[in-house]
Amino acid sequence: MIAGDTVRSRRRRALLLLLAPVTLLLGVFFLVPLGIMVVYSVLEPGLYGGVEWTWYPFNYGRILGWPLNDYEEFDPIYLSIFLGSLKIACLTVLFSLLICYPAAFWVSRMGERRKNFVLFLITLPFFANLLVRIYAWLLLLRPTGFINTLLQGLGLIAQPLDMLFTSFAVVLGMVYIFTPFMFLPIYANVEKLDYSLVRASQDLGATPLQTFLRVILPLTAPGIVGGSIIVFIPALGNFIVPAFLGGSKVQMTGNLIERSFLQSRDWPFGAALALLIMASVVLVLMIQLTRAARTQTKGAV
Amino acid sequence: MKGMLGRIVGMASVLALSANMAAAEGKLSLYNWGEYINPEIVDEFSKEYGVEVTLDTYSTNEEMLARIQAGASGYDLVWPSVHMHDIMQQLGLLQPANPNQMPGWENIDKAALRSHEDPNGDYCLPYAWGAVGVLYNKTLIPELTSWKQFFEYAKANPGKVTMLDDLRETLGVGLIMTGASVNSRDPDEVAKAEAYIMEQKPNIGAFRYDVIPLVTAGDVAAGHYYVGGVLNVLQNPELLGFVIPEEGATMYQEDVCLLANAPNPDNAKLFLQFLMRPEVAARNSERLTNGVVNTAAVDLLPDALKSNPSINPTAEVRAKLQIFEDLGKDLRLYTRAWDRIKTN
Repeated sequence: MIAGDTVRSRRRRALLLLLAPVTLLLGVFFLVPLGIMVVYSVLEPGLYGGVEWTWYPFNYGRILGWPLNDYEEFDPIYLSIFLGSLKIACLTVLFSLLICYPAAFWVSRMGERRKNFVLFLITLPFFANLLVRIYAWLLLLRPTGFINTLLQGLGLIAQPLDMLFTSFAVVLGMVYIFTPFMFLPIYANVEKLDYSLVRASQDLGATPLQTFLRVILPLTAPGIVGGSIIVFIPALGNFIVPAFLGGSKVQMTGNLIERSFLQSRDWPFGAALALLIMASVVLVLMIQLTRAARTQTKGAV
Repeated sequence: MKGMLGRIVGMASVLALSANMAAAEGKLSLYNWGEYINPEIVDEFSKEYGVEVTLDTYSTNEEMLARIQAGASGYDLVWPSVHMHDIMQQLGLLQPANPNQMPGWENIDKAALRSHEDPNGDYCLPYAWGAVGVLYNKTLIPELTSWKQFFEYAKANPGKVTMLDDLRETLGVGLIMTGASVNSRDPDEVAKAEAYIMEQKPNIGAFRYDVIPLVTAGDVAAGHYYVGGVLNVLQNPELLGFVIPEEGATMYQEDVCLLANAPNPDNAKLFLQFLMRPEVAARNSERLTNGVVNTAAVDLLPDALKSNPSINPTAEVRAKLQIFEDLGKDLRLYTRAWDRIKTN
């Protein structure tokens, strides 16, 4: 008895000790800033930035479009900005998925050496600063840029295409940034795919489409879902790409948050918007978790 | 900034400050906009007085204010725009440096004392001013003179002009074109300006600060830009032009102010005195291609600058330039209007 207790308590102490750094890190660098944000989001904005310590729940009402004073009218612009951001984030997920899913199969069938080289190429962009890479796209897409010069030189187009400062440029830039984040989880899943199951379904007379839909897709679904979430979350809050490649004409919630804190000097509104993004991310994660739990119980049955 | 964050940052900077004070012998710490002082004159001051000068930079008034309010100590001099000078003085963040009692004050253009809070120059030294006009590519637009022409060109060539990604500046152009003050607090006037800019929006390529490379390459024909762009015009006068549109424009001015908790006030005052020397002011303006507040320095400027109508405009043009005032809570009017412009 006594010996068992000491072992258990020793183990518990060891566990506490091992978990302490992580807990401390999360507590200090995640929970405290989050708490500050929650508190600030229900305070009155200070005249010159900062906050007044008065209860002021109207920041959330403002997101929904309610007017703050007499001369404003009900106008849900902030919701429509948010919906626009959702759309761009979803498009980013969709296109990067369309690129990465076939590519993952292709890479997984390569020889060991080539495979490692390709994986290295995919992670290569992380070695250069994000702003530099986005700026490079600006140089590629602009009317006198590389792409237009090339197409004109080949005689394919007469006038330069207007690609820069459009929604197209924003989605392109986002897909470019987030492709590696989509690729790696899908690849990890595809590489583990057991081909004997694929062969079994073929032997049992399934058409290629049936094999894909009922065997390959379910088996690689965790990678697809994981990659999609990892892309969706940062895509929703991104503000660099719309500012650079969208010419600030395409606006996402991230741009609005940045402006609230600086030009508009309205920190509480910025904090409320940031919490809105966070809430939608948590919602997506919760849906994913409940679904995962359900499949697990089903699998057990 | 108040609250816990403020206190933590405050404590950190108190520690930093006490470390600073121990070694405050012969130091001076400047907190200025990026690219807003000629580095040569900083070096010269440093050598002449044996003072070790450090320079940190910011890119917006709000960014600077937020850091100073958060308790970022250790800085001596800051370069707020006039409306921010007013705010900072009201918030008690500044101390009088009395530039008006220093030798050289007689050279300062008294019309440059634009601050409401500091009409006699007891606190801050006027530094430089400039108009916000249009930088354009002469191969695409041989001569640009007005906002009207700017927007007509945009209508004929959608996407070929840019405006600043700044709510006061760009709505300010709308206010000028609808005949209102750029400091209007009248919701109807702001609504009209919003409608004006909204009408132009489909033809505007981008809202953007960094336009010099795009105008130079001809990706866009014209960009709403600061008078500092004249530096590029002077390097490339065949290709580029800069104009203060004839309907009028906004202008900015920065003052050099001594912070209330400056660790080296004596060196800071020496530096203000140094900045008032005509030849120093002239060399600084040559680099900044901004309007000069030092009347004695104007004569020392190279002809290209002295005769440039954007840098040294006539009294008639100057009368059409409007400076921003702080709007306090009414800034919200502009924020909403700008959010709608960006969204729809």
